[in-house]
Amino acid sequence: MPLLTRILILFALGSLMTTTVVHAADRSPTITVGTQEVGLTAGYMLHHRLTQDHTTKQEGPAFMPSWMMTVTDPVGDGWYRGQVSIGAEIVYIQFREPFLTHGVGFNPKIKYTFAGLDRIRPYAEFAGGPFWTDLAGKIPEESSRFNFVLTAGFGISYFLTDHAALNIGYRFHHISNAGTRYPNIGLNASLPFGGFSFFF
Amino acid sequence: MTGQIFPRLLIGSMLTMTLGLGTGCSHWIELAAPTDTTPPASATVATDARVPLLLETIRVTHNGSAIAPPAILERQVLGAIEATRLFSQHYQSGHAQPAANQARVTVRLSIDNLVEPHAGQAAWRGLLVGASMFTLAPFIPLNYDYGAQMSLEMERWDGQTKHYSATSNGSAHYYLFGANPEVIEQLKGQVTEACLSSLLDQVIQDSTFFLAGTTQPQDRPIRTVSVAVHRPSSRAVPVSRSLPDSSPR
Repeated sequence: MPLLTRILILFALGSLMTTTVVHAADRSPTITVGTQEVGLTAGYMLHHRLTQDHTTKQEGPAFMPSWMMTVTDPVGDGWYRGQVSIGAEIVYIQFREPFLTHGVGFNPKIKYTFAGLDRIRPYAEFAGGPFWTDLAGKIPEESSRFNFVLTAGFGISYFLTDHAALNIGYRFHHISNAGTRYPNIGLNASLPFGGFSFFF
Repeated sequence: MTGQIFPRLLIGSMLTMTLGLGTGCSHWIELAAPTDTTPPASATVATDARVPLLLETIRVTHNGSAIAPPAILERQVLGAIEATRLFSQHYQSGHAQPAANQARVTVRLSIDNLVEPHAGQAAWRGLLVGASMFTLAPFIPLNYDYGAQMSLEMERWDGQTKHYSATSNGSAHYYLFGANPEVIEQLKGQVTEACLSSLLDQVIQDSTFFLAGTTQPQDRPIRTVSVAVHRPSSRAVPVSRSLPDSSPR
């Protein structure tokens, strides 16, 4: 198990142990305009070879610390009632296959959280931004180290307290260089993830 | 070398502007000029002529949906009425009541709040801010509108009633890094207070209607009290002004 994964697991367990799991009389957590969210998410990247030209089976752990700002109160009355958050995350991926390499990026992010289910809040998110990796150049799909990441996915937050939530979800992850150098077939992957968010 | 300095200078300037402007004067509140032009009223009334007031009900709707009135709102309303000094004692339904045979004024207040968070606009502008890697954050404001419409029914001990109404609107403007739940709370508080002040100004103008006729003993001078709507010095006026920055650093 890589060192970073161990550190993350320790951090997660520590957070759980120090977080008071009190349900405050089951009152729904109040997230309003201006509420900030700091999150730490980890997942494991699993490759998708979408065409015959894709041969690389890249995979490895990913870590995504993030910050978000809620910019709307809950809107809507039906099942889609929810609120929008804007923020950014740093994404770090340790590619363990096909070579031990690394990638790091900065992604502005937008998230829509469905607020109709009390403590369980599903969400959809979209992020994209520059991404540097030394995997490129060693594989046939990508030639330049400077790339972009586009990612879209969904997840579920479970509020342990009014200020802390446990998150699990799935993202589709795409890496390419926007045609700045060729070849540029792109790398695609699934990224199941889990983590914690703290609201203040 | 010179070619490297320029991009670094540019990036440095952008970051400084983003962080500086984004966290500096980053939110402000505007109150719309009130539609009703009731001037601030004051009067002098005989202390012994004042009667107790019973706040019977407060009904609150939020964008048309009825909600339970927050305790802080009930306190704010009762506090504002109490501060006028027009009534001798102040009671709230569900708590201690005035004596059954005692003359009193019964108050029923209805508050309709209209909230427009501009969610679609916030989402698009947020997307634009994100797509610019936050360099546009100090230049694209986000908006939040809040309005209150209050209807006050005041029933005298003999069954005669008077109705008053007032409306107040306001907007909070903030940049992404300056967003703070306190900004919205301040907006709501100031709009509510402006509306309440406008209502109570109307009540003060009718102050004699709520006084009981008393016969003053010859050997005692008539004691009087000035009644007026109490306005805190920090009350917002209908102009734009920056608030002290309270965003987290």
